[in-house]
Parts: sequence; structure tokens; C-alpha cells
Amino acid sequence: MKRAAAGVLLAGALALSAGCTDYLNVNNNPNVPTTVAANLYLPPMEHWMATSPQYDGLLIGLYNQEWAYALGSSFASTYRYNFQRMGYLSGSDVSAQQWRDVYWNFGQNLTDMMTKARAEQRWDILGVGYVLRAWGWQTLTDLHGEIPVKEAYDPGRFAFDYDPQSYVYDQVHVLLDSAIIYLNRTDGAVDPTYLAQGDNIYKGDRTKWLKFAYGLYALSMNHYSNKSTYKPDSVIKLVDNSFQSGADDALLTYTGIDPGLQDLNFLGQTRDNITWYRQAQFAVGLMDGSDFGVVDPRMTRILSPAADSGYYGLDINQPGFGALPPSKQPYNFWGYPGSTHGHPGKYVFDDKAKEPIMTYAELQFIKAEAALRKGDQATAKAAYTAGVSASIDFVNARNQDDGQWPTQISSAEKSAFLAAITPATLTLTDVMSQKYIALYGWGHNEIWMDLRRYHYTDKDPATGQQVFPNFSPPTNLYPDNGGKLVYRIRPRYNSEYVWNIPALQAIGGLAPDYHTKEMWITTSQP
Amino acid sequence: MMKKRLLAVVLGVLCSAAPALAQQTKTVTGTVTGDEGAPLTGVSVIIKGTQNGTNTNDQGRYSVRVAPGQVLQFRRIGTNPVERTVGAANTIDVVLHSVAANLGAVVVTALGRQVEARSLGTSQQVVSGNSVAQTQRPDFVNALQGRVAGVTVTSSSGAPGASTEITIRGVSSISSTNQPLIVIDGQPVDNQTLNSGVFASDAVTSSMFANRTVDFTNRASDFNPEDIESITVLKGPEAAALYGIDAANGAILITTKRGKPGAGGVEYSNDFAIVKLRTMPTVQQVYGRTNGDNGAFQYFGAPYADTAAKYDNVTGFFRDGVTQRHNLAFSGAAPDNHINYRISSSYLNQRGVIPNAMYRRINVTGASTANVNDWVKTDLSLMYAYDNNNQPFKGDGGPFLGLLSWPANDNAANWLTPSGLRRTVTNQGLTGEYDNPYYNVYKNKNQATTNRLTGNFTLTLTPFSWGSIKPNVGVDAYSTENLINRDPQSYYGALFNGILDQATDVTRNLNEQTLFNVNAHHFTKNFSIGGFLGQSVLDQRTNVEAITGEGYLSPTFVSENNTANRTTLTTLTRRRLVSGFGQITANYHDYLYLNYAGRNDWTSTIPRPNNSFFYPSASASFVFSDAFPSIQRFMTGKLRAAIAEVGRDAPPYSYVPGLQFKPTTGNGYGYNFWGPNYNLKPEFAKSHEYGTELSFFHDRLGLDATYYQKKTTDQIVQNIRGSYATGFILFNLNGATTQNNGVELTLRGTPVQRRDFSWDFVANYDHHHGKVLSLPHDLPESYVSDTWLYGNVRSGTAPGLSTESLTGYFFLRNKQGQLLIDPQTGLPINSNPNFINAGFDRTPKYTVGLTNTFRYKRFSLSGLLDFRRGGDIYNATQSYLVANGLATSTLNRDTPVIIPGVLRDGNENTSHPTTNNIVVNPATETQFFQQTSSEMSQELYIQKNINWVRLRDLTLTYQLPASFARSASVYVTGTDLWMKTNYTGLDPLTNGNSAAVGGAGGAGIDFGNLPVPRTFNFGIRLGF
Repeated sequence: MKRAAAGVLLAGALALSAGCTDYLNVNNNPNVPTTVAANLYLPPMEHWMATSPQYDGLLIGLYNQEWAYALGSSFASTYRYNFQRMGYLSGSDVSAQQWRDVYWNFGQNLTDMMTKARAEQRWDILGVGYVLRAWGWQTLTDLHGEIPVKEAYDPGRFAFDYDPQSYVYDQVHVLLDSAIIYLNRTDGAVDPTYLAQGDNIYKGDRTKWLKFAYGLYALSMNHYSNKSTYKPDSVIKLVDNSFQSGADDALLTYTGIDPGLQDLNFLGQTRDNITWYRQAQFAVGLMDGSDFGVVDPRMTRILSPAADSGYYGLDINQPGFGALPPSKQPYNFWGYPGSTHGHPGKYVFDDKAKEPIMTYAELQFIKAEAALRKGDQATAKAAYTAGVSASIDFVNARNQDDGQWPTQISSAEKSAFLAAITPATLTLTDVMSQKYIALYGWGHNEIWMDLRRYHYTDKDPATGQQVFPNFSPPTNLYPDNGGKLVYRIRPRYNSEYVWNIPALQAIGGLAPDYHTKEMWITTSQP
Repeated sequence: MMKKRLLAVVLGVLCSAAPALAQQTKTVTGTVTGDEGAPLTGVSVIIKGTQNGTNTNDQGRYSVRVAPGQVLQFRRIGTNPVERTVGAANTIDVVLHSVAANLGAVVVTALGRQVEARSLGTSQQVVSGNSVAQTQRPDFVNALQGRVAGVTVTSSSGAPGASTEITIRGVSSISSTNQPLIVIDGQPVDNQTLNSGVFASDAVTSSMFANRTVDFTNRASDFNPEDIESITVLKGPEAAALYGIDAANGAILITTKRGKPGAGGVEYSNDFAIVKLRTMPTVQQVYGRTNGDNGAFQYFGAPYADTAAKYDNVTGFFRDGVTQRHNLAFSGAAPDNHINYRISSSYLNQRGVIPNAMYRRINVTGASTANVNDWVKTDLSLMYAYDNNNQPFKGDGGPFLGLLSWPANDNAANWLTPSGLRRTVTNQGLTGEYDNPYYNVYKNKNQATTNRLTGNFTLTLTPFSWGSIKPNVGVDAYSTENLINRDPQSYYGALFNGILDQATDVTRNLNEQTLFNVNAHHFTKNFSIGGFLGQSVLDQRTNVEAITGEGYLSPTFVSENNTANRTTLTTLTRRRLVSGFGQITANYHDYLYLNYAGRNDWTSTIPRPNNSFFYPSASASFVFSDAFPSIQRFMTGKLRAAIAEVGRDAPPYSYVPGLQFKPTTGNGYGYNFWGPNYNLKPEFAKSHEYGTELSFFHDRLGLDATYYQKKTTDQIVQNIRGSYATGFILFNLNGATTQNNGVELTLRGTPVQRRDFSWDFVANYDHHHGKVLSLPHDLPESYVSDTWLYGNVRSGTAPGLSTESLTGYFFLRNKQGQLLIDPQTGLPINSNPNFINAGFDRTPKYTVGLTNTFRYKRFSLSGLLDFRRGGDIYNATQSYLVANGLATSTLNRDTPVIIPGVLRDGNENTSHPTTNNIVVNPATETQFFQQTSSEMSQELYIQKNINWVRLRDLTLTYQLPASFARSASVYVTGTDLWMKTNYTGLDPLTNGNSAAVGGAGGAGIDFGNLPVPRTFNFGIRLGF
């Protein structure tokens, strides 16, 4: 009896320990999935594709002299003033948000989405994946120059060598070639409804993504303008295959339902990010008639007046409002004095204004530039006119996204303005200035690329006039610059300067003036 | 297949075993008395070689059924054991002599086994439950500091219910918990402190707590100290190897009280206490706010007018805390102790020194042991606890800093506007001005209610003479409802128009364990081998359902139903662990013992095949005074040595990256910060320790000395960053190596022992140090991000540094160690943006806990003095006060100074550096007091080599005459009565975070922390 009971108990204990292989299978995190349907990976990536450039744009916009920082003396204003002086903030992740989002928010998510799409023959999603990957590398290399691409996402690797920019550009083109192939396919499981569930930009329209791929290709190829290998015909052809009108613009609509406010326009009132930013003199000069003799009808729809109703810009060489008397200090971008927030805002500066990623107007200016460089005035002029016209439509449309600005630019105003700013012989100054205005406030990456391609103050060989009229670099450059202008953003501090130092050293990234080192793409090097 | 064969073998062994010899038994009775002839209760009377026996009752009497020829063992912790062979007599009376140190004493060790101290090859220390309970501290963990060599206890604050962190032998893990396993009656119990990460609001940076502003009770506090019979601390992995993974940082074994034979008795005791703040902070009351009445809480402005009214806001805010506690127990046992029982209940109500702070606890416990027949014994214990805690916020924006920041010319007690809104005194708005302290404690809320049930059932079967089987099943289940209210007008909540967080933590841990014990088998007269095999299964499950709501509709109605935006978060954690273990002990001549133990764990948290791992341990004990009896004239003593390995797994879900719901536009999923690590393997700690136990003067003086070293390899470092090109931001990686070593000495003595007067003392000396030898992938620094509390100082470490070091933006120096001074400003330059090492280490050089107990007639006086030498403390509160012009040290702000150092002008490292001669006027140079830039550094506020002497507790008891009741005593007890220290802040015993934070945590970081107050207790104990 005793021994039998004991035996049964021991056997019971052993049985409890047995079969432990299945018993231990409880390490699948029940709080989160490890994989989801391909279209569920897409929305956050699209969100960051539109939003992330705005984070860094706050500071790139200072390089671009789109705006300046108006608040007096505090740490926050000091470092922004240093950006105004074409400097940077050491030991900080400031100005490297796109680094974070391309490597992390795209990263493995994009890989997983594309792997799934390929396995399920969803060629449309796969094509979108190629576009996003290409957009990520294109954006990052234009900001940082050399970046890790070849070794990126290699599991088990914790140090990553930097690839030359020429390699990154080649990769972008390879990826876009694949994107175009897949986005042209209609076989397999291509399904606009399925794609639409995750696609808040084009609502599942494969053909618009195809146009986007061509547009991005054109933008990339146009960056070679300083090289002998520049092919204006290819650029023009790519633009022609891309957006046909403003209806093709890549825009993200913010949902505005998150209690944490993460799904609102970054430049809107609620996010409170541009409260103390004010338009800079250079930007005002392009629109108030100083540079082109005619007041741009977009000025009152984009920029803000001061108390005396005039439009003034901040002197980037002075901190804060500088010498501007209070009556001439421009209101904030929402159109209110001081730090007052309010509805309505205006243009892309509103909680629910759609955020552009690439526009028809932008691409038309790319085409105009290519045609001009080729010497084809007729093509250039047509594209230029289409660009300005589309930009005015774009401003009107943005001012209606959130019902924020009831007075639209009429078609009569538009034609009058077009006539006034279309010279007999179109110049690079005309094209690049109008492109700057069309990108103002949101297209910071491409504006900066243009400024750097023209080395900020290059002159148009045809006219001897500065391509960006009256653009003058800061007189008191940041001390680390050694008198040189800014040409790149340092890689993200907490990613690279702490954890990937040897690779950074190999490209000279530890030098205090690394941010002034010109990138390969804007040089004439082959 | 393999398993079946094993089963057959085991069953075969059982069936072929010889039946226990049938013998004629008779009843033997007797009385056990102590040195002074007083009867001893609770002496265990065991028939040698069996688990059977009884205990003496409170008259010292026992009664047991035993066969002639068998041997009775009389054992009581703290006395010499006695053995008597049963002969013809039916009465055996015994006298037990109490001793300070004796190798024959019986001790409880791993897995609840009772063994003679002489056979142990490892270091452990026992504390009696009474000595812990008599301190009247609600959480028994707080009473262990100084009572056990090698144990460090750090409470998070002096608020009722504040969490307490306990470590044994220092900090070895850089990022995981360093706290030991707590085992009560064989059942591992949960001692978690809720991590603020489970709250739904923690997902948003602007509303997260990150274990800084809120604290929750550590769950060991649920147990009533009055129910504890004894506490055994197993210090090293050597002893804890038998408890496996969770005991890698040591184990604390608690045995709860059982009924004693004799008539049933009722015991009632109570405690009333007054709690007073020991030290009050002081702030300057000379200078007003920077911009008159329009500035923030910065006091660099004009002096207050002589005529201005001044308020002593600090003193007025605190109140006397009051505690009351009632314990009622009913216990007894059958005369032959074949069944005993104990039922107890306790009520505790603690009111803190900060208004609205309180801790309330109700305990009901029951325990019973029964000898069902001559081979079956059962033991059951059940505990129910209810506790309710209201803690003030701490640190940034907490009532403490709000109080210190309040303008001296304004009465803080006037905290509401006439219309009932929050009264602010600056123009910084609701989110720019720290809450008025009264507003903070009355309107904000951090409340937790816990219901906990633990149950433990053990069977001991002795079906044969040579061994026993001991199955044990236990459950530890609790639910905690947490509510954090950030009032819509408060500093924390105004931005969101109020935040209400609720999180319900439902935890259920199951544990099953079976031991198959084989008694020592004598191969020759003087050589025997015994041992045991065991198996255990642990299943832990925690589910936290959290909801956060923002935007209160009615500003005063605290309910999720009143919020406009709500988000939920579910955190479900599961972990399973299956183990097999065993130990074999060889005994030669009762003076040389060799133990060999092995354990294999299979854990759910490590990927296969790495999830199965075996680790061995071996120890030896050599009683040299028995081997060479001539020594016994001077002393008795033993030497011991042990070497062991222990494995440790990762937290659940560490290696598979998970997708996270994204609140961005269109929602969808994306990876969280953590990358994958499919090669994750367990970390291993290898340790060895050597020790000796010596006793002199007939055991009146004893010394226990231990040296140990522990090296942890492949340590799993959580949340370590990497290049984003990995596609992720954080990783859980193997690869850190740390090494700990230390010395522990325990000296016990009974200098005086007379009939009317006796004096006993115990001194515990501890020196320990942990050092990081390497980090994964040669990463330059690993830090605990939650400890980045104020300024740029954090619990960070790097190879070559202490595991408890601090890194920060510290001053740059030239090769001669002189400060580098900025030639423009005359201020020193710090290392911004690099977190560097400046030699700071929070580890003390040594600590000593000295307990003295005096007995005179019916009086007894017992006290614990705690000494600490060395170790650095970051006085962030002072840094905050200086930066805001509140510290009295800023009063000489108009005295121009030249900061000693050399100019950074290119000559700083030459033979002729330029000595700084730039005069700085602190009052006008805004960077002089502030640390916002790359100039001044918090280094100024890290105080090196902090020493203290503190009277942890002191108890005076008077035994009332027997005519009063069966037993009765009255007592007065004081805790934390007195302290002397070179620390300039309020109390160096501090933790800026809560006990939920891993690694070295926030211990030694003092930021807006309420110090532990003084408590004066008095009460009575009655037995009838």
C-alpha cells in the first residue's frame, strides 16, 4: 500500500516533467503579432515617408533660408541659430529623423512586406515596396552622402561599412527598375482593394505608384546635373512617364484620431513644432517682388504678415527677430502673433493639411531644368508654365484641405501672374526660384539638394546671374565649419557616433567639419 | 522511450525495497529545559533516521511513540543538539545549552531540508522571525539590513508602501534584476515591483513615468512579519544552485510559524506608532524669483523686502504619521503533536508624514501539520493578504520638490483659488509650474489595492526506512488594481486635461516540486552516502490590463467613463520552467562532508536548443576540530569550500522581435525597438567561495568568515543599443562579463550569561565589489535609461568600471587632472555630449551591522547599529536647488569667484598651462549655477565616500509577571531613530527609481526623495 502510493506519486511527478517540449512553447509574445498581412505594414511607412522629412525639415529649412528661429535666448534657440549659421548640434539626434525612419520604420518592416507580397504574388505591393526602398536610400544619401546599404539589415552584424554615394545612386536605380516592372503587372494577386487598405497615399491605385516611380527616377537622374554623364533627355522622358497633373500628387491625408496626436500634420497647430519659426528674408524676397518685380499671389497664402500687414522676413544672420521692430515681426505660420495657436491655419501648416511627398509641379520644374540645360527653350517654357500653374493650384488645394483659407487664387490672378513671370528667354534662375516656391515649407530635402547642386551661389552661365537670386550664405558661419558651407548632415548620433565608430572613421565622419564635406553627387566627379 | 525506462527503474527500486521493520513501540514523554532551567518550547524531537517526531509544548513537554533502540534527537535552533537512545525508561528529560555558534546546531537549508551546520559546505545565515518582527517594520525585507552579512537593502523612499530593493553580494547583472529568490515554506513567491511600463500612458513620451515619478509596493511586503518563524539567507549560487535560475542572486528561505503542542492558546499583540520626519530640508529665503513675480520657480531675483511676510512652508506641510497594528493568533497542537494548527490575522494601518499617504494591510493566515499515520505527514499553509496603498508622487514634479520650490513669501497651504481651481503663483501656466505640494497630494493620486492568496501543500511520505518522498504543490496568486490620477489642472496632467491610468495586474504562479530523498547509507561505520533527486515545474503568468484616459469632462470625477480619449494596453507574460536536480552527500567520520549537486533547467524564454542547460556544484566541509580533537581545548572549527555554476535565462519574449500597433496615420503594424536574437543563450555565473566557522570559549564566541568570487559570462544585457542599420534600435544580447568578489565576516558572542543578566552580540561585516569586464560587441557603455533622472548623470557602466558606477557629462581635465576652463566664460568645460567615467562608484567600501541584545531579569534591550563606509551618492536634489537658486549654498552669489583650473587655450597639456584668472560673478553668469550647457557639470553634486552610522532599530521589552496572563510583555521600539553621516543631503539611503528597475538601478541617486522617517512604537503582547 505505502510503496504503491509512493510509486504512483513519483510516477506522477515524472509525468509532470515529461512532455516538456510542448509545455515550454509559451514564448510567442501574446501581446503582439510577429507577422501580419502585407498591407498592414504599409501605413506606418507611408506616414513616415511624408512626416519624417518634416522633422529634419525644421533644421534643413534653416540651411535653405526658408525660415529662421525667432525665439530669444534659450538652449533650444541657440542650437537652431547654429543651424542657421550652417552648423549642427553635436551629440544629438536632432536633424537625423529620416535616418531613424528609413533604417528602423522601413527596415525589416519593408523586407517582411516585400517577402510576403512576393510569396503571395501581390506584385502591386511588391512594386510599392521597391519604390519605398528606393525612396529611402535616395533620401538618406542626399542628406548624408555615404550611408550603409550593402550590409544594412544583415542579421548578426553590429558594425556596418559605409557605401559610396555612387553605389547608393546605382542601387536606387536598380530598385526603381524592379518597381517599374512589378507595378506594370496585373497578373497574380494584384488587387487594388487589398492594397487600398494599407495605402493612404494612392488608395490602392497601382498606376499612380508607377508614375511615382518614374517621378522619383527623374528626380534622382536630375541630381547628376554637375556631371558629364548628365542625361537631360532621360530626365525629360522619365518626367513624361510620371505625374500627368496635380491629381497624381503624392499626398498623405492625416487621420487625426490618435489620442497621442501622432497622426496629425507635423507642421499643424496642435503639434506645436513651428511655433517660433518665421519666414526668412530670402524666401520673402522670392515672392514679394524684390527678385522678380511682381508680387506672387501665393505669398499671402503661404507666408504670414506682420502687425502692420506687411510681409517681412527674418535676417538669418541675427538671432531671434533681429532688428525688426515689433510691428514688422511676422506672425507665425498659422497667421497668429507670438505663440498663439489657432484655427484656421494656412497652406501645409494645419492639423489636417495633406502632406506632400512629391508633386506634379516639382516634376515639371525638373523637366524644365533638364530642357534648359539641353537648350530646348520651348520644352522648358511649357514645363515651367505647367509647373507654376500647378503650384498655384496646389496652394489653393492645400488651403482647402482643412477649410482653412477661403480666399482662393483666381484663374485671372493666375494668368496675370504667369504672364508677368514668364520671360522671353527662360533662365535657370526663373526655373529654380519657382521650384523653390513650389516646394516651400515642405520639400526641404529637394530644395537643399538644388541649393547644393548650385553650390548655393553658383551663377547661371547663360546670364551671369546667381541661380538663386540674392541668396547669401550666413556671414557668421558656425565655428566648426572652418569657413565652409554645409553640404551634408552627420549620420544619426545615437546610431553611428556611439555604436558604429570605426566605420564612421573610415569615411572621415569624426572630423568636426564633416558636415561641410561636399558629396559626390554635386561634384563633377564621374 | 527513455522516460518510460527510467520510470520502470524507479518503480522497480520501490517495489523491491525492504519493508520497514515492524517494531514494538511505546510512548516516551519528557521535559526539555534550557540553561536556566526554564522549559523550552518548540524543540524538535525527531526519531533519528526518520522524518517522524514532535515538538515540545510551551511547558517544554513532549510525547512521542518510539521503539526501544531507536535514537531521539533533540534540536532547537541556536542550541547544541542532544541525542538519547531509547531504553527501558518511559521518561527522558533533556537539558539543551544555548550557544552563540555551534557546528552541531540544526539549520534549515536549500529545499527546506534541516541539516547540521557542520555538514554545510556553503555560506548561509539565519535570522529569527522574532528579531525581524520586533522592529515593527511592515515589510520584513527592511529589517534585514545589517542582520545578514552581504545583504544590502535599499528602500525607495520613506513613504508608506514604498518599494524596497534587496541584493545579496552586490550587483552583478548590468540590466536585469539583482534581487534574490524568496521562498516561503518551500514555495517560491513573487516579489515584483510593478513596472510603470505596463501603463497605457507609458507608450507616449510626454506622459510616461519610466519608473521615476511613481512607486509601487514590492510584493514581499504582503507577508506579515509576525507569521515568520525564521529566515535563512543562502548567499551564493553555491547554495542556491538547488533553486535554479531564479536564485542566481541568492535565495531567502522563510519558514512560517506552526502550532506548538499543548493546550490551544490565543496570542494578541498590538503596535501603536508615531512617525516623524527626521530631517527637514532647508532652502534660502533671502532672494526672490528671477523676474519678480513673473518668473518661473527660479530664485536669482532681488532679495525679498525686509517687510515681506515669510512662510515656513516646509515645516507646515509635513504631519506626524500614525501607525496602528493588531495581531491575533490562535494556535495549538495535539499532545503528541500528530496534528497542529495556527491561525492568525493582522491589521495594519499606516499614515505617512506626507498628507494623504497611507498603507493598510490585512492578513489572514492558516497553517497545519498532521501526521496522518506513521508514514504520511501533511503540511498546509494558506495566506490571504489585502493591502491598499496611497503613495505620493516622487522626483520631478513631486510634492517634495514642489514644496522646496514654493516661494517663501507665499503661503503654500493656501492651495486653491476661491473658485476651487489650482492656485498658481507664476505666469508659467499649469504645465510650467510645479504643483503646489498640497494640490499635488490631494488631487493627484497613486493608489494600489492588492488581493493575494498563497497556498502551499506538502506531503511527506516515509514508506520505507531508507528514504522519503516529498511532493509539494503551491500557488501564489494576486491581483493588483492600480489607479493613477493626474488631475486636469496638475503639472502632470494639464497638457492632456487630465490623465487617468488604470492597470489591473493579475498574476498566478504555480509551482510543483517533488523530492525523493535517500537517507544516508552507512557503507562502513564511519562512511556514509545519502542524497536526493528532485523535479520541479514552475508556471508563471501575469496579465496586466491597462487603460489610460485623457481629457476629463467633469474635472473632479475620477473615472475612465469621464475621459474623452482612451487607449488600452494588454501585457501578458508567461514563463515556464521545468527542472530536474539532485544532490549526493558523502560523510566521512562526521568531520568531512562532500556534496555534489547538479541541476538541469529547461526554460521557455531561451530558444532551442540552448534552453536546456546543466550546471553542477560541489562543496566540502571539514570539521578540523573533530579530525584533530586536541584542538578542541582551544576551539572548534570547520573549513568549507564550494564551487558552483548557475545558469540564468532571459525575460520572456526577449529574442523574437514583435510587431507593434502603430498610432500613426492609418495605423498598421511595425517592429518595436527590439531586434531579434535567435542565438540567445543562457548566461552563466561561476563562483567559488571559501570560508571557516570557528568557535571559542565553549561556543560563547563564534566567527564565520567567507571569501567569494563570482564571474558571470555571456551575461544577457537588455535594451542595449546598436547602429540603426541593424533595422532596429535596441537588442537583448549575450556578451557582458562581470566579476564580483567580497568578504563577509560574522562575529557572534555571549560575553555575559548569568541567571539575571546576559549580553549577546552579532556583528556582520560585508565588503563586496562588482566590476564589468566586457560588454557585448565591444560597445562603449551600457546604461539603465530609467536612471537618467536629472541632469546628465545615469547608472552607466563600461569595461573596467564598477557595476554601480555613474557616468555623465563630467568635467574635462588636463593630464595633470586640473579642470579645463573655457577662455571665453571662465567656466569649466564638461564632456557634453559624451557620457564619461569620472571614477564614481556607489558601492560602499564596507558595511557593518551590529546587533546587541541585553537581558536583565524581566527586561530585554536589543538594538541594531548600521555602519557604512564609502560609496558615492548623487545629490540631484541639491543640484536642482542650486540650479534654481534655492540652495543656501547660493546665498554668496554676489561674491565673485575664480574657478581653479587651466584655460583650454592649447597650452593646457604643455608644461606651462595658463592658470585661470577669469573672474566670474555667479549672480550674473547664468551658467554658473545651471547645467543646461556644456559648462558646469552635475559632477559637483556627486558626493564621494559617504559614511554613515545609523541606529536602525532599538527595542526595550518588559516581561510582565505570569499572574497577569499566560505570557505578557510590553515593549517600546524605535526605528531609524538616529543617523550621523557626512552626506549633506537629507538621507544617503535613497533610490531615485523604484525597485522595478534592473541593473544597479537608482540606488544612490537622490532626487526629490522623501527620506525614511523616525518611528516610535509601543505595544503589548499577550498570550492566554
